[in-house]
Amino acid sequence: MSRHIGSYPIPPYLKNKLITAGFSTAEDLEDVKPVELSKELKITPEEALEVLRVVQGDQKDPSSPDDGVKTALDMLQEEREQGGIITFCSALDELLGGGVPLTKITEFCGAPGVGKTQMGMQLAIDVQIPSAFGGLGGEAVYIDTEGSFMVQRLEDMAKAAMEHCRHIATVENNRDQLEAMADFTVEHILSRIHFYRVHDWVELVALINILPEFLQQHPKVRLVVIDSIAFPFRHDFEDLSLRTRLLNGLAQNCIRLADSHKAAVVLVNQMTTKMGHAGDGQAHLVPALGESWGHASTIRVLLFWEAGCRYARLYKSPTREEATVPYQVTVAGVRDVCVPNNMQDQATNISKEDGESLGDHSQTQRKRPRIS
Amino acid sequence: MSLRKLRRLGLEPELVDRLERHKKLSSCQDILVKIHLELLHLTNLTHSDVQKIVMTASKACAPTPMTALQMKEAGVSSGSAPFFSTSLPGLDQALHGGIPAGSVTEIAGPAGCGKTQFCVMLSVLATLPCEIGGLGGAVVYIDTESAFSAERLVEVAQFRCPQHFSSDDAFYKLTSQVFVHKTPTCTDLWNRLQSLEEELIQKRVRLVILDSVASVVRKEFDNSLRGNLSQRVKLLAKEAALLKYLAESLNIPVVVTNQITTRFKASWEGPHHDVPSGDVADGNGAGASAAVDGGYVTAALGNTWSHSVNTRLIVQYLDDKHREVMVAKSPIAPFSSFVYTIQSSGIVLQDDETIHKSSERVATDPGLIPIKVRTMLGQGGGLVVP
Repeated sequence: MSRHIGSYPIPPYLKNKLITAGFSTAEDLEDVKPVELSKELKITPEEALEVLRVVQGDQKDPSSPDDGVKTALDMLQEEREQGGIITFCSALDELLGGGVPLTKITEFCGAPGVGKTQMGMQLAIDVQIPSAFGGLGGEAVYIDTEGSFMVQRLEDMAKAAMEHCRHIATVENNRDQLEAMADFTVEHILSRIHFYRVHDWVELVALINILPEFLQQHPKVRLVVIDSIAFPFRHDFEDLSLRTRLLNGLAQNCIRLADSHKAAVVLVNQMTTKMGHAGDGQAHLVPALGESWGHASTIRVLLFWEAGCRYARLYKSPTREEATVPYQVTVAGVRDVCVPNNMQDQATNISKEDGESLGDHSQTQRKRPRIS
Repeated sequence: MSLRKLRRLGLEPELVDRLERHKKLSSCQDILVKIHLELLHLTNLTHSDVQKIVMTASKACAPTPMTALQMKEAGVSSGSAPFFSTSLPGLDQALHGGIPAGSVTEIAGPAGCGKTQFCVMLSVLATLPCEIGGLGGAVVYIDTESAFSAERLVEVAQFRCPQHFSSDDAFYKLTSQVFVHKTPTCTDLWNRLQSLEEELIQKRVRLVILDSVASVVRKEFDNSLRGNLSQRVKLLAKEAALLKYLAESLNIPVVVTNQITTRFKASWEGPHHDVPSGDVADGNGAGASAAVDGGYVTAALGNTWSHSVNTRLIVQYLDDKHREVMVAKSPIAPFSSFVYTIQSSGIVLQDDETIHKSSERVATDPGLIPIKVRTMLGQGGGLVVP
């Protein structure tokens, strides 16, 4: 109730004036009008108004109706109505409970070459699937920090997605779907992906600052992909606490973005080697950017190789159970794997393993024919 | 971008002066690195004014967007090919045209397998005019092992494209367009990379080769000393970021070569033992390390470096004459492999079905793919297969 003036975000010169004039806590400023304050402190009425807003804003009755409080019932309704971004890989959609969810941050981490960029590109296409097919019909923002984005690959994936949808529309002979196909051509798909190439962390921080404005001008954007969030933060930092601070700020901004624009934010993270502790002996691959980064994303999916096949493990989620599913990356993009019986057993065995550390994969490398 | 000075942002001059002189805030980076409360204290302005400054600085630093369609059209109209054909048809087809421009491609493999030969061949091809599949420009070859041989360059040119290199004039043009820099230490290399931008623009360079990135780093950083490993990782990440920046801004391919290391499968007492794979010039190939029992050989420089390169090609031995190049990591190509031999015209793909490819090789983490090495010179079929 009686917070000290010094703890508010007011410029120092105003703070000094307030304290000299005898206002030391928020209580002292109750019932003071702006003009009165300006005369007493010899500041302009606008500055006085700002001070009072900052201080008194804190004191407002928390139960006032326009406070942004929602009941769980409202939220249930919202959650039911809003879709997720469905992929063409039904196993992944199952894993995430209906695709990549909106208004949340989903993180995909994995070893190099496992398909994180492919996943990002696939989602940028999938968010555009017209609503006639059950998709969101939205646009995507793709922020590339690594330089792995290649338009030619995107074209291949867009073509495959378009053909897949066209096939569905023709087979079901659904008029809405056939009409929607007119807008779902390769050119249209490419024109709805907004691409940013970022070279260092300052550019990334700056970009996230101005992204809300961009999203307001492009209200159909439903997905923001940052590929990868790790690369710019892994080499320039002597001061790790600065890095943690910046990453936290970035995560907060992303959460705010996701929530206010009803968009999904997908972050791609790398892996780093952590030397085993005594008795453990081996090096483990763990997600990069440190332990504190683990709190930033709402949902975490780990992508890894096992015996020549790619798997996705849901590692952190507030709504779904931990599970592991196989997937593959084909010319068409990220797709399901048609699993013969013996591999199916292996997949369930993996999800039964507990512990989150991945041992050195070389131990389980067996020469098996690749699943096609 | 991030070092853009505040005075160019259109803010009030007295404010900018005050910030610069008293608070040492002179560039956008200085503003964006601080949190809101700190800025309030330093600038002595109101909340909304500080917000405005932050937004102005952010707008100045943030990149401009392009839609993917615009990128595609820009690529088509810019005239410079998105892919650099390696003149090896199978490999080109798998890679969707060849080595991608604007990104970093790595060739990793044991000594004597053909990495430098690959680089020499690519140098020749880059100087050829665009009409016959080249890049029509100069080549910067950064040599850390003194493995580059001008004689070999001329020989490859002569045998690979005899019609084009039919006169002395053509050879003169070729050799005067390949700029070789010797950088035997890490500092030399870093300095060279930092000053590369002007050179690339001035000399109209269309290909940059760094052969090899691993040798200097492994000579100077002893992983068993504490702190050295993280320093090494940092340096490599910085180098990767710089190379990518150069590749992208000038839309040219950058090729780096890497060595191999042994990884132990069983538990070990310390960091990876980097078995030296020989800094000897190519063609010699003596004494490549054999895989130790319980360990296997794979690309060097660790996990972070594997993340940093965009494309990874791994070369390895199949038998005395035949080698294999695998596409281990690529944003655009699936895992595939091709057999080749080294001849006077450089690298030549073999389509012969009788050669036993390691076709049961399974796609996996490109940082952990086992590589076959050659045990000893002249020993036919005496390969150690991990």
